[in-house]
Amino acid sequence: MRNTVLGMASLIVAAGVAATPAQADVGIGLVGGITGGTAALAPEMMKSYQFAVKQVNDQGGIKNGEKLIGVVADDGCNAQTGVDAVTKVVNVSQVVGMAGPWCSGVVLAVANSVTIPAGVVLITPAGTSPQITALKDNDLVFRTVPSDEYQGQVLARTLLARGTTKVALSFINNDYGKGLADAFQKEFVAKGGTVAARAAHEENRASYRTDLAQLAKGGADTLVLIDYGDSSGLTVLRESIENDFFKTYVGGEGMKTTATIKTIGSKNLANFYVSSPVSEKSQSLEVFASGFKSAGGDPNATFVSTSYDAVFLLALAIEQTGGDKTKISAALRNLVDAAGESIMPGEWAKAKALIAAGKPISYKGASGTLAFDANGDVPGAYALFKVNGDDFQFVTDMK
Amino acid sequence: MDISSFINFFLIPGIILGSIYALGAIGVTLVYAIMRHGHFAHGDLATFGAFMVLLFSASSGLSPYAALPIAAVAAGLMAIAIDWLFYTHLRTLPKIITTISSLGVALMLRAVVQIFWGVNTLSYETGIARPENWFGLRIKPHEVVTVVMVIGLVVALEIFLRHSKWGKAMRAMSDNPDLASLCGIDNRKVIALTWMLVGALCAASGFFLGLNTQVKSLMGWNILLPTFAAAILGGVGRIEGAILGGLIVGICEEMSVLVIRSEYKVLSGFVILLLALLIRPTGLFRGKVL
Repeated sequence: MRNTVLGMASLIVAAGVAATPAQADVGIGLVGGITGGTAALAPEMMKSYQFAVKQVNDQGGIKNGEKLIGVVADDGCNAQTGVDAVTKVVNVSQVVGMAGPWCSGVVLAVANSVTIPAGVVLITPAGTSPQITALKDNDLVFRTVPSDEYQGQVLARTLLARGTTKVALSFINNDYGKGLADAFQKEFVAKGGTVAARAAHEENRASYRTDLAQLAKGGADTLVLIDYGDSSGLTVLRESIENDFFKTYVGGEGMKTTATIKTIGSKNLANFYVSSPVSEKSQSLEVFASGFKSAGGDPNATFVSTSYDAVFLLALAIEQTGGDKTKISAALRNLVDAAGESIMPGEWAKAKALIAAGKPISYKGASGTLAFDANGDVPGAYALFKVNGDDFQFVTDMK
Repeated sequence: MDISSFINFFLIPGIILGSIYALGAIGVTLVYAIMRHGHFAHGDLATFGAFMVLLFSASSGLSPYAALPIAAVAAGLMAIAIDWLFYTHLRTLPKIITTISSLGVALMLRAVVQIFWGVNTLSYETGIARPENWFGLRIKPHEVVTVVMVIGLVVALEIFLRHSKWGKAMRAMSDNPDLASLCGIDNRKVIALTWMLVGALCAASGFFLGLNTQVKSLMGWNILLPTFAAAILGGVGRIEGAILGGLIVGICEEMSVLVIRSEYKVLSGFVILLLALLIRPTGLFRGKVL
């Protein structure tokens, strides 16, 4: 018995040693909400992270063949869990930069208390809250996904254009929900719409019928629901449909999960629409999509292209700076400057040769051009989707 | 607001929620009455029970209702195993140690659920259940089942405790474990029996929670606070107190939306807990023994 225990212990120690990157290898954090509200998005987004890491390593790695090591961590879509996980990634695994977290609240918490003080660049592929724009970040926080400031505005204009002038607004009480709801309401009211009732709700409650009854009193027949389709959003939507509180439902990209369709059934969701950021059609996107598909991923899943861009761009910056974390944020801006030679997703070997030769490059992201503004934000494109069968179907572009 | 929408959208959800809390609170109360420690793994044991229902109904094609008894037994056995593995050797130490260790058990149980079933949101049945109209009252079939089953379980438990030999043994041990032991009551058997009942009640509360919302790995943890609030409000150790406490907490939580903003709804559980501890720390029913 004792021998077995000793044997097991040494195995665990050995495994631990093997998992620690060799001195020269470069670690980056791959952080995301594998559990919690974004769990449904996690498998494909994580796959996309790893796909980018694999491409880098398959085509020569960093500098002289050192490997890029992805340190995966789960933030639970929860600020507390996220800060713990990222503290470990930054201080123990000593990463030079990280992709993720995904949930806006976690991005804000992690950036303020861990990555900004540590001087580590953070690129979120999914944190969309307008509040991230306002972070005092020493140019260390970037995103490959557009801010909800834009999404709120285009969603408001699209609804008005479709003839919806009176809505009730219900949102999850966190940075994502409040950010998107505020942006929506501001534009909707400014362009002549009426928000008949507005209420936040706490996540993870057993029932929301009372909240819905209060909202329905406003007299609107459309509910704009900003939430996660894997969490309270699902409960709210189901209880509302069951009790006929509203006729039409409009969600943000957090509601665009198949869990919603699977649980409620597509026949009950005829009047359910979601807005979601979409990648602008480009050659880069096609290259990424076919590569990701052959690697076993689903290129149409939410946020996979932004996830890929976050990791690939970070790797390019590491290659260019030699892993010096103080220079990475400046490098990120140079790498997307339109002046350089174009680099498509997956063209790591080509980029590596250009960087070695000291030539400027311009990474054409799968999710778009990634023209970072002064706050590290990118412009975006959005589309409206509705349920068709087991999946979401494109309805219209949103301007 | 007219009376019917008040009943439909505020009172009925409160009663359903309260019934679920009540089932959990009875379990908390039983553990405290017999073993004299708080049990933080309660919520996650409920999650485990809810997932066992899912497992048995999916693997055998039974309806979730039919799978509930099997899942209740499974959760009961799990509770006995947990007690045997983690709590038995702490029995003679100060109770706070067992209470804290139950927090560790909660995390382990949740991890087991996440390993086997993943972290995605699942449900017992797809599609939606529109409420039926009973003379102006909009009630869903599974809400009726929830309330009826909760009442049934409580009555059965009461009868068991008052009239059966083993029920009396449990009450004796709750009153004075040493004296009970001297009278020939095997304390270990009583403890095992208590865990069986607690596990089964957990499975039931998890199942009804899953039936009325969704099945996911954090579901039980999220109702832990209101469950404890219910048990303390009713008077820890008293079953009738747990029921009343559960209903009060559930109804207050839903009604609170009428007076405060809905994002603060979750606060009502805390407030009730605080008020109960401040004004009447012994709980409504002033009890320590079953």
